[in-house]
Order: sequence, then C-alpha cells, then structure tokens
Amino acid sequence: MHRAFNFFKRNLKEIFRDPVIYIFCLGFPLVMLILFYALNKFTNGNTLIFELQALLPGVMLFSYSFVMLTLGLIVSKDRQTFFLKRLYSSPMKVSDFIFGYVLVGVLIGILQIVLCFVAGLILSISAGVQFLSVGEILLLTLWQMPMLIMNVFLGVLFGTLFNDKTAPGICSVFISFAGILGGCWMPIESMGAFETFCRCLPFYPSVYIGRVITNAQNSFGVSYAFDNVALLGIVPIALFMGLSILLTVVAFKKNIVSDH
Amino acid sequence: MIKIEQLSKNYRSKKALHNLSLTIEQGELFGLLGVNGAGKTTLIKILCGLTKKTSGTITIDNLNLDQDMDKIKEIVDISPQETAIANNLTVQENLEFFANIYQNNNPQSVQGIVDIFHLDEVLNQRAKTLSGGYKRRLSIAIALISKPKILFLDEPTLGLDVFARRDLWGIIKKLKGKMTIILTSHYLEEIESLCDRVAILSQGEILQTGTIEEIKTMTGAQSFEEAFVQLVERKNAQSV
Ligand SMILES: Nc1ncnc2c1ncn2[C@@H]1O[C@H](COP(=O)(O)OP(=O)(O)OP(=O)(O)O)[C@@H](O)[C@H]1O
Ligand SMILES: [Mg+2]
Repeated sequence: MHRAFNFFKRNLKEIFRDPVIYIFCLGFPLVMLILFYALNKFTNGNTLIFELQALLPGVMLFSYSFVMLTLGLIVSKDRQTFFLKRLYSSPMKVSDFIFGYVLVGVLIGILQIVLCFVAGLILSISAGVQFLSVGEILLLTLWQMPMLIMNVFLGVLFGTLFNDKTAPGICSVFISFAGILGGCWMPIESMGAFETFCRCLPFYPSVYIGRVITNAQNSFGVSYAFDNVALLGIVPIALFMGLSILLTVVAFKKNIVSDH
Repeated sequence: MIKIEQLSKNYRSKKALHNLSLTIEQGELFGLLGVNGAGKTTLIKILCGLTKKTSGTITIDNLNLDQDMDKIKEIVDISPQETAIANNLTVQENLEFFANIYQNNNPQSVQGIVDIFHLDEVLNQRAKTLSGGYKRRLSIAIALISKPKILFLDEPTLGLDVFARRDLWGIIKKLKGKMTIILTSHYLEEIESLCDRVAILSQGEILQTGTIEEIKTMTGAQSFEEAFVQLVERKNAQSV
C-alpha cells in the first residue's frame, strides 16, 4: 500500500504543477456557475433551472468531466514517456497504479465540490437568500461520489487505451455529454423522447437526484421529488459506474504486459 | 545467473526472436550487439517482464520467469532505451520516488548515486528542464536506486556528447563486478572497452557469443568492427 500512496503523491505533484488544472478543473466550473447564475439574475430570474439549487448539481457533474480529461492526459503521457513501462518492471502492482491515479482524481473532484459550495454560499449571502442546509450539503456531496468515481475511472481508462492526442478528444465528447445529456443547461423534462433517452444514461439521473436533495424546481415550477425518474435513475448510474471500474482494471492489466 | 533456452518471440506474424539460447554469468558485463531491429530491446523487455515471450524457458538467479516474475522484479532493474523519468518532479523527488518504491531507506546510498552521476548541481531542478544528457543520467541513476542484482542498460549513452559518454563509461566500469550488467549499444568502441563478453544478434538470432578477442579470432578479422560486419553480412547473404 505504501507504493500506491507514493505513486499518489507523485501524481498529485505532477498534476498540480501544471497550470492546466487550475484553469479547467477549478476555474472553468466556477465560471459556469457564476455565469449562469448572473445571467439568470439579469434576466429577472425566470429560468428556474439556473437557480442555485438546480445549478449546483449540474455544474458539479459537468466539472468531473474535466477530472476525466486531466487523468486521461496524465495516464497517456506517462505511457508515452515510458515512465509507466519502467514502473511496470518494478514491484508495483496493478492495484497500486490504479489507486494512485484514482485517488488524485477523487481529491480533485472533492476540491471542485467544496469550491462550488463556497461559491454558492457567497452568491447566496450577497443575494441575501438562504443557502443549502448542512444536511443537504453533506447529502449532496455523498451523492456526487458515484459519478465522480465513474469519471475518474473513465479518465484512467481512456488514458490507458489512447495516446495523448486521442484521449483529450474522447474526453471532450464526454464533457459535452455531461453538459447536454445531464440537463445542466437546459430543461430536459420538457423534451419528451429525448428525456426518456437521457434517463437511460447516468448523467441526467445524477443531476435529477441532486436536485431532489437541494429542493430545486424544474422549468415547470414543480419541485423535484424522489419519484420513479429518480428511483429508476439509480440503475444506469450503478451500471455505468461498475462498468467503468471493471473496464479500467481489465484494460490496465492488459496494458502492463502488452506488445506495445 | 541468467539462463535462456530456446527463446522465441513473435509479434503477431513478425518473428522478433528465434530459438535463442544464452547464458550470462554472475557479475559479468555482457554486451548485446546488433543492427537496428535485431531484437535487443525485445530480449531485455522479456527478461524484465515487460513483454511476454512466445516460447522457451528462462531462469534468472534460480528463479523461473514464468512462475516467479514478482520475485525477479525485485532483483532486476532497467534503464530503458527511452528516458523514463517523472517530468514535473525535481531530480531529488524523482530519486526519492523510486527509492520509496524499492524501499531503499538508506539516504547514504541515494547520496552515493547522486555523487556518482554528478547530479548535485541539478538536484532541485524539474526533470523536464534538464538537458538531454542530464535526463539520461537521471534515468540511469534511477535504475541503480533499487540496488539491483541485474541491471539492464538499453543504449545508455544514446544522445550523450563525447565527454558525458566517457564519464558514463567510467561509472559503468565502477559498477562492474558489483552486479550483473547487460548492455546494448551501437557504439562498437563502447562494447569493446566495457564488456567482458558479447552476443551478436541479427534478425532475432544469435550469430556468435564470446569475448571480443574470441570473436575476432573466429572470424579472422583485424578489428572488432570488421568481425561484426562480416558476421552480419554472412547472415544476410544466407537469408536472401
Ligand atoms: N510492439 C511491437 N510490435 C510489433 N513489432 C515489434 C514491436 N516491437 C518490436 N517489434 C519488432 O521486433 C523486431 C526487434 O525489435 P527490437 O526493438 O527488439 O530491436 P532492437 O535490436 O532493440 O533495435 P534498435 O537497435 O533499433 O533499438 C523489430 O523488427 C521490430 O520491428
Ligand atoms: Mg532497441
């Protein structure tokens, strides 16, 4: 286990010494949050999904795709520079490698969540309205874990399968997915067949349940409730999370003893 | 120390190594010589567990490669053909990182390695800002941190200037006898000045093994270079 932790420390340094992380992983989600919030205020606040309660779960989901991108980049670069090859000939185990990468990803994700909450709190105070309760904050944080973990593992997976030119491309597809199919920026509940489609993927259900937790209102002015959409939504989330973990472990194992 | 019998390796349809048998003794500095694509790196990768062999048996330090790869990994280390270092870490952090992986908790031995490779002046510099020669030195220094019984050096002096190369020769000579070293190089004078014995590879097969003198005598050539060229050309003529 000390090897996993040692590797984690190295990855942390490697990532946090690159300015990219501050721009994409930490800066970008904040900008989105503030931008949509401000947009809503200036248009007299009639877009309910841009209220903080609805916005927060969406922005959080969106931000994990950047964690995926970051991990995809570091893994593919480590492979390309033969750094990983060398480590493969050391006594490090597959689990050490995966833990080392995943832990950094989860840490960045938690940092993003904290940042979103702090920004939300400041915005609420400045608007003179009540922010989420401590219980809601904890519950929402907990609820973020499945999707964060899915994104983190997918990042490692794409970095393992693709080189550092291709991996960012694949990841950016997921960034758009998270934004569009998650219903972060648009009222999916009023889109009929498209909504049904989105409910089969993990993004929308994640945001949906997040909004249940924060007592947000959808575009019809109806409060999100723990209904069938939420309940059935747990299925794709669990499925895709499990699948991403499984695929990553398999791909990484294969990559250690490969011909390339 | 290392015993290879009937080793073959195919990359899909391509034969990279073919029925190769070789024994390397403990403490020997053994040279692998061959033209580009002869199979040197492939052989080293197999011995380090980075690539799977297709067939054959290998024992390293009385450990069977098929069963005891985990144990073998603790006694071998490799300086790959490409420099393999953590770019955003300083030289010091790179050394510490690998020291931790191999549980080398002896600061003196790490300092000793720093001294040998003259890394003192760049200790706090990020690895990516080092010159090519220093990167290479760091990459080789890292391989020594694990205090391996067997060290593989795949083209260690690639990209080094004459002085840095001579410097590295000195370092390798100092290591001689302390561990078994397998070295590949395209510089014949390097092989000549460093290696106890050599194997000449071509198209995945061993053409000849022996000391430099033995190989010169066997081919009747004046120089080692001439002996090498003769052997390879004879092989090429056969396979046409
Ligand atoms: N991953 C791979 N997939 C397919 N073929 C490969 C792969 N790696 C090596 N080969 C082939 O195997 C043969 C031996 O390659 P190897 O890298 O071992 O040569 P080498 O002796 O180290 O050459 P060099 O002096 O150029 O480093 C070459 O023909 C090469 O094209
Ligand atoms: Mg090679």
